[in-house]
Amino acid sequence: MRGFTHLHAVSGFSLRYGASHPEQLAERTAERGMDAVALTDRDTLGGAVRFAKAAGRAGVRPLFGVDLAVEAPPEVAGRTERRRTPARGGAFVDESAQRVIFLARDGARGWAELCRLVSAAHADTAGDRRPLLLWDALGGEHLTVLLGPTSDVGRALAAGRPDRAAQLLAPWRERYGDAALRIEVVCHGRSGTGSGSLRLAARALGFAADQRITPVLSNAVRYVDPGQGPVADVLDSARRLVPIDPRGERDCGERWLKPATDMARLAEQVAEAAGYRVNTARRLLEVTEETAAACRVDPEDDLGLGRVHFPEPGLVGAHRRTPERVLRSKCAAAMLLHRYDRDRHRWERLEDELRLIERLGYASYFLTVAQVVADTRELGIRVAARGSGAGSLVNHLLGIATADPVEHGLLMERFLSDRRTELPDIDIDVESARRLEVYRAILDRFGPERVATVSMPETYRVRHAVRDVGLALGLDPAEVDKLAKSFPHIRARDARAALQELPELRGIDPESYGPHMWDLVEALDALPRGIAMHPCGVLLSDATLLHRTPVVPTSGEGFPMSQFDKEDVEDLGLLKLDVLGVRMQSAMAHAVAEIERTTGRRIDLDDAAQVPPDDPKTFQLIKSSQTLGCFQTESPGQRDLIARLQPETFHDLVVDISLFRPGPVAANMVDPFIKSRHGRQAPRCPHPDLEPALRETYGVVVFHEQIIRILSVMTGCTPAFGDYTRRALSNADQVGRVRAWFAQEARRRGYEEEVVERTWEIVEAFGAYGFCKAHAVAFAVPSYQSAWLKAHHPAAFYAGLLTHDPGMYPKRLLLADARRRGVPILPLDVNASDAAYRIELVSDVEGGRPVHGIRLALCDVRGMSESEAARIVTGRPYSSLQDFASRARPSRPVAERLAQVGALDTFGRNRRDLLLHLAELHRSQRSSAQGQLTLGEVGAAHSAVAPVGLPDLDDAERLGAELGVLGMDASRHLMGDHRELLEELGVTSAKRLKDLPHGQVVLVAGAKGAVQTPPVRSGKRVIFTTLDDTTGLVDCAFFEDSHEACAHTVFHSWLLLVRGVVQRRGGGSGKALSVTGSAAWDLTELAELRREDGLSAVTERLTQADSPSGRAAGSRSLQLETGYALHPWADLQPPGESVKQSRKLWHQSPGSAG
Amino acid sequence: MNILYIHFHDLQDEQLYSRLLTLLAEYTPLVQALPPDAALADVSGSLRYFGTDATALAERIRARTGGLYGLRSTVGVAANPLLARMVAADGPPSAVRTLPDDIDTVTAFLAKKPTAALQGVGPATARTLSSYGLDSVGRIAAAPLGTLQRILGVTAGRHLHDVARGLDPTPVIPSAPPRSMSVEHHFTQDELDRNRQRAALLALTDRLGLRLRGESQVACALTLTIRYADRSTTTRTRKLHEPTAHTRSLTALAYDLHDRLALQRARVRTISLRAENLIAAERASRQLLFEPTDEKARRLEAAADRARDRFGTEAVQPAGAAAIHVA
Repeated sequence: MRGFTHLHAVSGFSLRYGASHPEQLAERTAERGMDAVALTDRDTLGGAVRFAKAAGRAGVRPLFGVDLAVEAPPEVAGRTERRRTPARGGAFVDESAQRVIFLARDGARGWAELCRLVSAAHADTAGDRRPLLLWDALGGEHLTVLLGPTSDVGRALAAGRPDRAAQLLAPWRERYGDAALRIEVVCHGRSGTGSGSLRLAARALGFAADQRITPVLSNAVRYVDPGQGPVADVLDSARRLVPIDPRGERDCGERWLKPATDMARLAEQVAEAAGYRVNTARRLLEVTEETAAACRVDPEDDLGLGRVHFPEPGLVGAHRRTPERVLRSKCAAAMLLHRYDRDRHRWERLEDELRLIERLGYASYFLTVAQVVADTRELGIRVAARGSGAGSLVNHLLGIATADPVEHGLLMERFLSDRRTELPDIDIDVESARRLEVYRAILDRFGPERVATVSMPETYRVRHAVRDVGLALGLDPAEVDKLAKSFPHIRARDARAALQELPELRGIDPESYGPHMWDLVEALDALPRGIAMHPCGVLLSDATLLHRTPVVPTSGEGFPMSQFDKEDVEDLGLLKLDVLGVRMQSAMAHAVAEIERTTGRRIDLDDAAQVPPDDPKTFQLIKSSQTLGCFQTESPGQRDLIARLQPETFHDLVVDISLFRPGPVAANMVDPFIKSRHGRQAPRCPHPDLEPALRETYGVVVFHEQIIRILSVMTGCTPAFGDYTRRALSNADQVGRVRAWFAQEARRRGYEEEVVERTWEIVEAFGAYGFCKAHAVAFAVPSYQSAWLKAHHPAAFYAGLLTHDPGMYPKRLLLADARRRGVPILPLDVNASDAAYRIELVSDVEGGRPVHGIRLALCDVRGMSESEAARIVTGRPYSSLQDFASRARPSRPVAERLAQVGALDTFGRNRRDLLLHLAELHRSQRSSAQGQLTLGEVGAAHSAVAPVGLPDLDDAERLGAELGVLGMDASRHLMGDHRELLEELGVTSAKRLKDLPHGQVVLVAGAKGAVQTPPVRSGKRVIFTTLDDTTGLVDCAFFEDSHEACAHTVFHSWLLLVRGVVQRRGGGSGKALSVTGSAAWDLTELAELRREDGLSAVTERLTQADSPSGRAAGSRSLQLETGYALHPWADLQPPGESVKQSRKLWHQSPGSAG
Repeated sequence: MNILYIHFHDLQDEQLYSRLLTLLAEYTPLVQALPPDAALADVSGSLRYFGTDATALAERIRARTGGLYGLRSTVGVAANPLLARMVAADGPPSAVRTLPDDIDTVTAFLAKKPTAALQGVGPATARTLSSYGLDSVGRIAAAPLGTLQRILGVTAGRHLHDVARGLDPTPVIPSAPPRSMSVEHHFTQDELDRNRQRAALLALTDRLGLRLRGESQVACALTLTIRYADRSTTTRTRKLHEPTAHTRSLTALAYDLHDRLALQRARVRTISLRAENLIAAERASRQLLFEPTDEKARRLEAAADRARDRFGTEAVQPAGAAAIHVA
């Protein structure tokens, strides 16, 4: 029995079509005794690299192909009819174009041709047009073409028109020649003559014989295992956006990766049905094998796996000289510029680094990155290197990294060494708002044939899986929406486990959605459902880039995007540069620009003279842990840590950032550090030789660099080998070997047994968890800069934050923080507000001295488009409502919202009167001819509108309008409305909480800020939330025993009342403060009860025992390989709507806000 | 305060409803039917005969219908139909509620009512009004007439101005027939298939035509309402060329309304069809055609109607609708 090769098989990268992963395809092929398999995804080659790697592992030969929608050749194209646009529900997804399979042969040339075809098919996908290969874009070489049942030829055969099929075949023969053309015979045992029917298969075989075109047998594989037909149905439904029609045609269940024996049987059936003898079946299998054998593309040689391609040296300044020489001379020049030229130590280090770079052949790479950074600076965009690249002196000299690695004790080996096989990774942070400008600059510099962004497959997780399965099964859309939202962002395959274990999902009856619902949800797990542009990766390569990767335009900006993702790109040896858009950089740039605009003072945050690194006012702010809005230090956990750690210097900040990582928290490195720091525990130091490495962190190992140093000191190995060993520590299998090596080497160097033992304890405990110091330094710089801005220029700082919204908290929390810090908030006003947040000098404040206040921005008005805001800004000032309406021409909803939040108050005091005038102005504008100004009226109109006797907005309605329109309570704090109730209940305010002793039971209330369920050391799931009342922030933690009673309320309500116990922790001053919650109520609901039935109804609600739901919480925990427990559902984005994105939020309008 | 608004609870039977109307007619000739389950009665002329006041008379009517048919009912007693309706709706079911006819009581009664409680104020108008802060009847009453007219237009503003003060000049008109008739089809699952939707439409027009002809009425217009899986609806109304009860014309119009929606991916749950502005068949005019097909179809229809009359509605059905079982 000979083998069989599937020439037509798709993976999940065929979006919403294939039901298996490319890896499974390769594995099953090997398991079922076949030697080769083709991957022919629809419209994409995105799975090719994974497939090739998996095939290599499984020992099968991969064939590469693609299934493309091809335009009918002009001479045979039929008419297209235009259909009326549906009144509701949208049009059907158009899948009428024929689909043809192209298989690459002739090695690299075939692969390049495949890439070209895929790129060409996507060239015109603006809007939501589907990829379509135009007939003229077809090539003719290096590919084998399979015409199957879904090609026009196949369709003509299905319709019983062999004559038309012959006519349709002619253009293909002309293009590719008979030798490269195949008729694909597919039989799934369907009845009738449609795709997959035995009769069509027989017709195709007969037709191929008549036309003297070689037939091939395939199974048009959509999934690897039998029984996955229903999953394919769900995918079809998700692609076509219609529910599965129970009466309609379903997937036949036969399209799996059948073994050779099954395929041989099919071949016999088809041959028999076509009226041939058995030897024809054998012949059919043989020619299929021959076709497969001809389609040779080698993953290593032809795709370029495992080779490196840098841009041509000429593009980065090395025209006549070698890149190595150029790099050397640039570094030497920078040494002089930085005045390091007398420092022998630095010269030696530079020489080491340069020699290493030359040895590895990466000189071009460094020059390329330096070029990009230089171009970015040229544009006036803030740029900073992040990551381990900051440890290299060469990077510092080239201007890529700002911090001096020698001064901060950073090691090159953590970044680049002989022992690191992967490409070095330099990430640069730029202003998020101008990230695309940087992309364009790179495109301009290197040309579109060398640059592409990297893609990122979006895979099915539980929410999307529930939505798509719900649609497929035709469930009620509203119910599906609710169901999807109630899940945290977990993997789809965990859906059933989550339903059983998570208390907030107890209310859901999994059985009520039909028998297959959860099977299907879990079956969709991790399949790609879309391809998006990776938020930061940019590919840089030489001019052959487009021969090696298919490129598609991104949907929004039209950038070229490779279909390969981050890992694929690395495997293909393409140089990837991460250009991260950091909102905080934009926020700081905005703040600096505002300061310059109002005061004329230009501040350079990177200049140590203007922003001294030991500014007392800044550290006072940091120590008081009021770091809301500061980079990396604003989360509740960080504020808690800062309060305990009390940073005094920049280095302390570096340590603080390194400690607040899942690893160190899990390994309990925090407590010993804080104890030693506050002198309550002697620093550990096993041997005086280790003192230099351990002193900076009181004997607690925080940084990777420290581990490398310790290993190097104790064993005498090179730092490069130290780094290599350090990485082995995080792998449980290798720890034993490292230990033996360590003990042996250390003893040989004469260290005592006890010293070796104790040092090893330290290395083992912290080795796997440390943080790269270069990273931490790179993080600490903006963190300190933002704190400096907050301490010295609060108004400008908040204006930057509010404009670019970098943090984890909703904007209203920042606004409340600003109000608490005494920054005046100026209302929205069309004559004063800009598109972005501005600062203004306010003179009439208590205390006399004028201060800067924040003027709210037009950009936060719901529904305001950028062009509208720009029009309003350029038209300022306006003399009257009519003037405003006729020159700024806002859309009616936007104008009404502006009136509601008081932006038009200068034109009339009663906001409802303004609304009526706006409606009338709008009506008259519409009836009069467009674009004609009624000249007389503009100047003559009164500046204030005449009152018409409508009731004005009251306080509650104004607040409601602010929340609804701006998403924040701009005029006053929204908790103000509930003051009476809170007083009656004796709720403790955030300010008074500071004076209460540890262990006191309190009631606290506030608007919910952020909710997190981070991994914690105990392996339990803890819900952290930040409440904000008029006086400050309260951080609440809910532990597992309280989840039954309150998880749902905490996730799904906006205003919370919490019963809890005060917790005080931390250094001598005990400043770290939080509340451990035991019960939570929805404050809106309580307020409603009080309004309707009085306080006793509230009491009733508060004393009502929540009936426990019988099922005991299954307490499972994941055992990490390092021995620490982790709650299975921790570290996920929690259920409910995200606080940051929602606008409706904390306020449930009692009537209409309008 | 001589106007009664009587609302019978849980009344579904049409025949029982007509018997109730007859019963009401024993108290006063001025009874206006508000199908399917309510009626207005003007008892000014009857009080002297019965020797009681309107409230007591209302109690009697409640007791009598309760005793005879076991029906619960709510009666509102006030000076005009508007207030009678509103006061009936102003509390728990099964009671008699009276609104005395003096200006302060009426004003106080209306002040707290939501705008939508006023007759003639639909959801859209209520939304418009509340966007100007006019979210209760009291606030509307306080607003100047000119302002209301600027918001809603001259006529509607005037009307709202009046009703917000409890003024309603409409008399009780006896025996006004129902003005529309509707039929509805629920699909057992979300239906996307155009042909099945058309089959349902055909079944509906067939039923509608049969009922219209049975009651000797003709429709002037048709309203098609489609309800989708997300509970939203689309409604389209169009006039017929001439008032008719002829199934063929109704079907043609229903198909046309449906085609214009051009639904493709919409998940249809329910299709309902309403014949609007019904008038008596003898008042309808008819365009005569030279072509005989229309005439033949009508004769065929008449024959089919007779057959159905004798052998039941199922006896004759349009072939295209046979696939659909009309509930």
